[in-house]
Amino acid sequence: MTGDAIWYEAAQVVGITNALNVAADGLGALGPVDEAAAPPEARALLAEIRAFYDGGVGPPGFRLIAHDPAYAAEVWAAARHAYGDNGLARRFKEALAFAVSVTTRSASGASFHLSEMRRLGVGERGVMEIVGVTQMFSSYTKIADTLQLEPDMGGIAPVDPTPAPGGPAE
Amino acid sequence: MPTVRLRSAAEYPAAAQKLFALSRAWFNHDFAEPPAMSRVMAWDPGFGGPHGRAMKRAMGPGEFTRGEKEMVAAVVSGVNACEY
Repeated sequence: MTGDAIWYEAAQVVGITNALNVAADGLGALGPVDEAAAPPEARALLAEIRAFYDGGVGPPGFRLIAHDPAYAAEVWAAARHAYGDNGLARRFKEALAFAVSVTTRSASGASFHLSEMRRLGVGERGVMEIVGVTQMFSSYTKIADTLQLEPDMGGIAPVDPTPAPGGPAE
Repeated sequence: MPTVRLRSAAEYPAAAQKLFALSRAWFNHDFAEPPAMSRVMAWDPGFGGPHGRAMKRAMGPGEFTRGEKEMVAAVVSGVNACEY
């Protein structure tokens, strides 16, 4: 897991997962878009999301933000990019999204990303591995915060000397 | 600044020195002093022992690699806004 690129990918997954969970858990009062009565661009967007999720409805937040199809389409473009196979595999990205959802107490996000992990082939052992890491580091972090420990392990990670994508090499 | 005085490794009993050696092996890094969290966990073996074993079981090889699990741990720490 060396090189900065995969950490940028992980950060994208964390950010967009939290954004979608915020919508799913906080915007229920808006009600989901009625797909049958929605404008064509909203229907096309929801169809594209279903295709990415192999027929599933996708992250529940999209049906709430699809009231503004142009906005939702941009969020979807970012989400599709973040969750797709790249330096990190889609299967692992769903595990990251599950860990984020559990940590932020998003029941809808945890449920959705758990089902995606399973759909992409993660077994019960793998699920419990992610549960274990999430739970143990939810413990370590609070112990560290309570005792106000200062970071002392940053130096063990190697520095990636490569430039930004497309940038000039040194 | 920590709310407690973090003891140096030399201030711990012999049993804790074994834990510090395991910590060096776990991180594959020769620390001048064991990481602060290792020293915190060595303070009370009744808690730190089972907590550390649970962590090692969770982080051990399985369906996900150790590297992937380290990334999950970093993500959870970041979401919890933990600087350590």
